[in-house]
Parts: sequence; structure tokens; C-alpha cells
Amino acid sequence: MKKVLMTAMTNSISEVMEIMFFMPVEIGPETILNDSGINRNNALACRLNFTGDITGNIDLISPEPLVAELASNFLGETKGELTWEQQFGTLSEMLNMVCGNALKNVKCKLPYHLGIPQMITSTDLDGTAKCTLIETMDSKMALLLSMIKSE
Amino acid sequence: MSYSILIVDDSMPMRTVLKRSLAAAGYGSSRILEASNGKEALKVMEGDWVDLILTDHNMPEMNGFSFLKKVKAEALFKDIPVVVISTEGNESKIKEFMNTGASGYMTKPFTPEALRDLIVSIIGKADYEESIDDRDDEFDF
Repeated sequence: MKKVLMTAMTNSISEVMEIMFFMPVEIGPETILNDSGINRNNALACRLNFTGDITGNIDLISPEPLVAELASNFLGETKGELTWEQQFGTLSEMLNMVCGNALKNVKCKLPYHLGIPQMITSTDLDGTAKCTLIETMDSKMALLLSMIKSE
Repeated sequence: MSYSILIVDDSMPMRTVLKRSLAAAGYGSSRILEASNGKEALKVMEGDWVDLILTDHNMPEMNGFSFLKKVKAEALFKDIPVVVISTEGNESKIKEFMNTGASGYMTKPFTPEALRDLIVSIIGKADYEESIDDRDDEFDF
């Protein structure tokens, strides 16, 4: 089930990135966060909890320059003028859209419900956790799926 | 084409995107009001007339569904069209909103064109003067 969910997430991210962020992406390999090449000291991360057939959370971590680029595309403002709130809000909304769009396509007995995205400290993420890389033209971010309970 | 449109979303970037989408969809001259949850939106509506509400669902304090129920239960507000714009897209959730009185439901991600088509189908393309005249009539006690 975790694989089904992760596949739905990665399919969803391409659609969300293209429609809302005007940025094509490629789904990279699954790897360990420590080996992903993402510097966690220079990254923003957020978490979204969900309940349903599977209860768990999904984390998104992205280097700060990539978040600035995403926010600039999303909001139509120049990178240098973006506030922290705008950048974090953009990352949260992206995760929210990716999850919602993915979960509606997953067959389930119990409908999924999403929580509200929360900021997390990127250095608190488990470096040994598996993640899926989302690659842009010149950067990359990572999605981490954790399952707490499966119905 | 000018309306008073209330955007209810706890995400400030999403409110910005909706304002940009409304402008791109031809509603640039509309007056845009903002609230970050249902409770705040009801306060805004106590002081300002609203022609259309665009609301998210997952919000702290008062979510979109509770907000919709409150709007539809209030005589003064019940005829205001409410469009739900949410990341949640399961059929049962959409049915629940539509059965409670939502005029439309749109899942994110969306294009400005899709938003325009939905809004036009609900409030049409009435011009500024017509909208103001209608408003005067309603407040003519």
C-alpha cells in the first residue's frame, strides 16, 4: 500500500508542478535522505498528516533557493522580495495540493482526510529515512512518506 | 464586470494566487475581501456585502464545511453563492458540500480558465452598474 501511495504522490507532483508552478519535474530514484545531495542546513521542510485506509504523514524538503524559485513562480513576485511567510506558505500549499491530488486517485475504503501543513525543522528529519527525489532542471527536493497505521 | 468577492483560505500564498487568477479570469476590477478561516469570514460579512465566496475547506478555527453551513443557515447570507476550492477531491466530500448548498467545487490544482468558467456559470458576466443597482435594491428597507 505504501508503494501505491508513493506512486500516486509522484504522479501528482508532476501535475501540480506544471499547472501551478510552471516548472516541469522528473521523478528521480528512491534514496536515503543523507545520500540525496540536499543540504538539510540550507533547506525548508514541511509535514502533512493524513488519515484514512492508511494513517501517516508526508514530508517535503527543498533547498531554500528552489523554494524561492517556486514561490516566485507561484505568486508572480521577484525572488528578492519574497518574505519567509510567502516561501514557507508556498511549500506548504504545494505539499497540500500534491497530497490531495494524489489521495483522490487512490482506491480506499475509508476516505482520506488531510491535516493542515506544519513547518518542521529540516535537520530534525531522519537522515537514514528513504525518500523519493523530485528533480527540476537545476535542483531537487525530496518526498518522505511515513506510515503510522494501516487499516 | 465588478463584484465583491470574498476569498477564505488560511494560506496567504493561496489567497494571492486566487486574486491573480481572478484578475486573469477577467475579474480584476472586482473588490476582493480576504479571511483566513470561516470565523474570520463571517466577521467580514457582517460589515461588507459579498457577491461571491471562494472558500478552502481545511482551515483552523472554522473549516470550510462549518462555514458553508453557517452561511446557508443565515437569512441574509443564504443566497450568496459559495464555491469550495480544496485539495480534497473525494466524491463523498464533494457531494456533502453540494448537498449543503455549495454552488461549485473545484479541486486544486486548477487553471485560471477553469476558475473563470466556474465563476461565470454561477454569477455570470453582469456589468458593474447592474451589480450596484441590485445591491441598492437589497438594502432598500
